[in-house]
Amino acid sequence: MMRDGFEAIINALACVFIAYMLISLFYLYVAVGESFGKVAMALFDSRVLGALTISVLSAFIVGSLAVAVGIPAAYLLTFKEFRGKEALQMLLVDMPQTFPPVTEGLVYLLMFGRFGLAYTFAAVIIAKFYVSAPFTVSFLTRRWREVKNDGYPIIARSLGARTRHLVSWVMLPLSARDLLAGFSLTWARAMGELAATLVFAGAIPWRTETIPTLVYLTSQGAPEIAMAASVIAETLSLIALFSFRWIGGGRK
Amino acid sequence: MSDFQIDGVSKSYGSNKVLDNISLSLEPQETMVIMGPSGCGKTTLLLITLGALAPDQGEVIVGGKSVNNIPIEDRGIGYVPQDFGLFPHLTVYGNIAFGLRVRNMEDGEIRRAVGSLLEAFKLEGLAERKPRELSGGQKQRVALARALGISPSLLLLDEPLSNIDEATKVEVRRNLKDTLTKLKVTTLCVVHDPEDAFMLGDRIAVMYYGRIIQCAVPDELLRDPKDDVVRKLIAPVYVLKRTQT
Repeated sequence: MMRDGFEAIINALACVFIAYMLISLFYLYVAVGESFGKVAMALFDSRVLGALTISVLSAFIVGSLAVAVGIPAAYLLTFKEFRGKEALQMLLVDMPQTFPPVTEGLVYLLMFGRFGLAYTFAAVIIAKFYVSAPFTVSFLTRRWREVKNDGYPIIARSLGARTRHLVSWVMLPLSARDLLAGFSLTWARAMGELAATLVFAGAIPWRTETIPTLVYLTSQGAPEIAMAASVIAETLSLIALFSFRWIGGGRK
Repeated sequence: MSDFQIDGVSKSYGSNKVLDNISLSLEPQETMVIMGPSGCGKTTLLLITLGALAPDQGEVIVGGKSVNNIPIEDRGIGYVPQDFGLFPHLTVYGNIAFGLRVRNMEDGEIRRAVGSLLEAFKLEGLAERKPRELSGGQKQRVALARALGISPSLLLLDEPLSNIDEATKVEVRRNLKDTLTKLKVTTLCVVHDPEDAFMLGDRIAVMYYGRIIQCAVPDELLRDPKDDVVRKLIAPVYVLKRTQT
């Protein structure tokens, strides 16, 4: 039984919001169902397969690079004390989330274009890395600070541990789940990146064209291609999110 | 010459002076207990001694030499924190072997050394257990074995009995005292419970608001407390002694 009118309004607004979000999430599957034959054919289109290959491969490379640089970045942000540390963390972790991706693509075009990197597979990775890598850095740094507050680094050091022992025998084993969770979010974000990739890497099939750029370019002229690519992208992102929840859920 | 000295150590956090010109000197194989209420600066002093914090003033001297500029990993000081700090992802064996692996000892040598430590600390049969499968007393013994495995010049114990169940505390305390006596390692131990201090310490330094107000052997402290603060802090021991006699 409702306690008062205000609660009824709150509940109704919450229901509207939930319905809006769930419909937005699953409407694509309904639309695909309506023209299933055409979309199913398009799933095997060479351009879709090419975009899928480039997207998945580049997202894995971006995730791996994020781990490789996330470990030193987390070490710096956890163990070193210096002026401006909080500001640096904001620039490394928060700023990439709000920085306009299209501007980022332009910056890379100006920065690296002269070296012949524009419109290459490397450009896809560079464009995706900036917005995606912060997830790994942020997850790892947060966990490492918890481990530090629990006092384990001091104990390891008192036993004679050098930095390499501390990182590989204490910090990484105690943050393996967070590293995996960060990797899976980095991967998912890299999969969805559009603007920076389009500006800096273009959309050359089987070379720089990714799922998002393919959807953007075909949504008007060949909607079945766009729908096929979108359904793949959405399904993969759902899988990545559930893996992330599963990995994160097991953490103690 | 004493094994270990703290000479004029001070430390402030902003305007809050946590340690005020602390000086202490430990004889070889002695167990010195720093006793005082929570927040009096005991743990800060321990962390400065260990090298995890830098003093604003004063020196930590080991074997006649200042170790202020020596990083924590090179000080060779054993440390057992309040919650024992066992690495949760490692087994009892892995925890005890940690300091030996760091020193690049060979596997056979590590096995032998850990084997003798397991035996000395009555931990046989627990080698493959994870810390979460141990009782408080067992955790304490693993933490001591791990700290002593590196043959430290000094052992630091931070509130070693605060995470032990009341039911087993007396036994664990007696075992800890026996271990410290048997192993003959110079030990600096901080506690807040006067009963623990009198049981464990060869000498007791009473700390209050960042200063050592009296340092004496337990009998002398009972017989001749310097002032009312000391008398009040050790009052529970008076009560205990009276009920025992």
